[in-house]
Amino acid sequence: MKHKIRFTINGEVKEIEVQPNKTLLKMLREDLDLIGVKEGCGAGECGACTVLVNNKPVNSCLMLAVEVDGKEILTIEGLSDGINLDPLQESFLKHNAIQCGYCTPGMVMSAKALLNRNSHPKEEDVKEALAGNLCRCTGYKRIVDAVLDAVKKGGGK
Amino acid sequence: MKKNGRGIATIMFGFGYGAGFPDHSIASAEIEDEGKILIRTAAADVGQGVLTTITQIAAEVLKVKPEIIQIIPGDTHLIKNSGSSSATRQTFFTGNAVKEASEGLLSNIYHYASIEFRSNHVELGIKDGYIFRNDNPNNKLSYWELAEKVKESGDSLKAEASFFPRTDKPDPNTGQGEKIYVAYTFVTQVVEVEVDTDTGIVQVLKVYTSADIGKAINPQNVEGQIEGGTVQGIGMALMEEQVIKEGITLNPDLTGYLIPTSMDTPRFATRLVENEDSEGPFGAKGVGEPATIATTPAIANAIYDAIGVRIFDLPITPEKILKALKKRETENKIGKKEDF
Ligand code: FES
Ligand code: FES
Repeated sequence: MKHKIRFTINGEVKEIEVQPNKTLLKMLREDLDLIGVKEGCGAGECGACTVLVNNKPVNSCLMLAVEVDGKEILTIEGLSDGINLDPLQESFLKHNAIQCGYCTPGMVMSAKALLNRNSHPKEEDVKEALAGNLCRCTGYKRIVDAVLDAVKKGGGK
Repeated sequence: MKKNGRGIATIMFGFGYGAGFPDHSIASAEIEDEGKILIRTAAADVGQGVLTTITQIAAEVLKVKPEIIQIIPGDTHLIKNSGSSSATRQTFFTGNAVKEASEGLLSNIYHYASIEFRSNHVELGIKDGYIFRNDNPNNKLSYWELAEKVKESGDSLKAEASFFPRTDKPDPNTGQGEKIYVAYTFVTQVVEVEVDTDTGIVQVLKVYTSADIGKAINPQNVEGQIEGGTVQGIGMALMEEQVIKEGITLNPDLTGYLIPTSMDTPRFATRLVENEDSEGPFGAKGVGEPATIATTPAIANAIYDAIGVRIFDLPITPEKILKALKKRETENKIGKKEDF
C-alpha cells in the first residue's frame, strides 16, 4: 500500500504517494527526477547519495522516503537559484575539484551541511566532515581547498 | 611512540600500447555554423580532462577562443577510432590527431582565403577567427564567411588527421628494441610518513612530486591527476586489498575493501618539469598512470626509514607493522643479528 507524504523539497512543498519500502534516493531520482543525487554503493558506504534533511546530511540510500514526511529536503539541484551558483559550487569549479564528478553532488552537500553548523571550519574540520564521501579521482586536496576557499569568501556566512 | 620517516622512489613509464601494437587516434576539425568549430574525436573523458586538453590544442592552433571549439562526444556513427582512454595515451595520441587535424583545417583556411583575396598565404594574417590581407586588414573574412564561399563552390572547409606512430616489438632474445614506446614520463616522489609504533597506523604527511610531463597543457588538470594518482598509491601501499578465497571475493564492498578518504590525504608539493623531449602535442606526455606508481615504493621506503623494518608485502597494514616490530624485538632479545 502506498503512503501519502508531504515534504518541502528545494523550497517547494510536494505531496506524493510512495511505497513504504522505497528509499529516499529512489524517490528523488525516479519520482522527482532529481538525478543530481547519485547512487554509488547503495549501502551507506560512499556518500554519493548525500542530501540534507532538516539541514543534516543523510545517506539517502539508507533512508526510507516515508521518513521525510513533514521534513525539509535540500538536494544539489536546490543550491543554485537558477542564475547564480552557490559559493561552494563556484569554488569547486575554480579549484578544479571535480574529475569524473560522480562524488561531487554528495561532496558539495556534505560541505554545505558543515558550513550550516560551523561557518568557520578549519582544514581538519573539513576533512572530517567529508570523510564519509569517497572520491576515487581527485585525492581530495582540491575538494578541501575549494571548501576552505568558499569559507574565506564568506560562503559559510 | 610516533616515528617519522622519509622515502623516495623514481619511476619511468613508457605510455601508449607500444611494442608494435597498431595504436592510433583519428580526429577531424571543421568549420561549423553559428560561429563554432567542430572537433570530432572518440576520446573518452572519464574525468581526466582530455576534452579540455584537446579544446585548448584546437583553439591554440586555429587562433580562436576555446569557447568556439565544440566537441562531438563519442558516437560510432559520426566519428572514427580514437583508441581507448587507457595506457596514459589520450593526450599524446588524440592530442596529436586533433593538433594535426586543426593544422590541416588552418592550411585549408589559408588555401581558400588566398583564392578569395587573390593573394599568397604569406601575405595573409589571421586573428580571432578572421583572415585578411596584411596590406588591408579591414577587409577581412571570418572563418564562417569563408566556409560559406567554399560551400558554394561545392567543397567544404574541414580536415581529418590521424596520429599513428611507429613502435617496435622488442627482440625476443634480448628484450631490446629501438623504440618500444612512443615516449616516457618520469616521476620522482619523496614521501614523509608518521608511524605509530603502538597502533601500527601509518599517516602520510606530505608528498613532494617532481614529474617530467613534457609540457603541461593544462597545469591544474595535470596536478589534479598527480594528486589523485598519489592518493590511489597511498591506498595500494597501506590499505587496499582484495581478499579472494577459492575464487570468491570476501570483501566485495567498501566496508571491507578500504580506499583512502579525505582523512588520509597528505599535503602536496608538486613541481612540473616541462622538458619537451618527445613528439607529443606541444611536447606534452602522458601523466595518468605514472602519477600513481612511485607513491607505493616511496611509502614502503619511508616506513623503513621511520622504524627500521622492511615490509615487502602490500598493503602495509597496522597488523603487519606491529608483527614486524614484535619479531624484531624478540630477535633483539635473543641476540640475533638483524640483516637490514
Ligand atoms: S549510495 Fe548511499 S552511501 Fe553510497
Ligand atoms: S571526482 Fe570522480 S569520484 Fe570524485
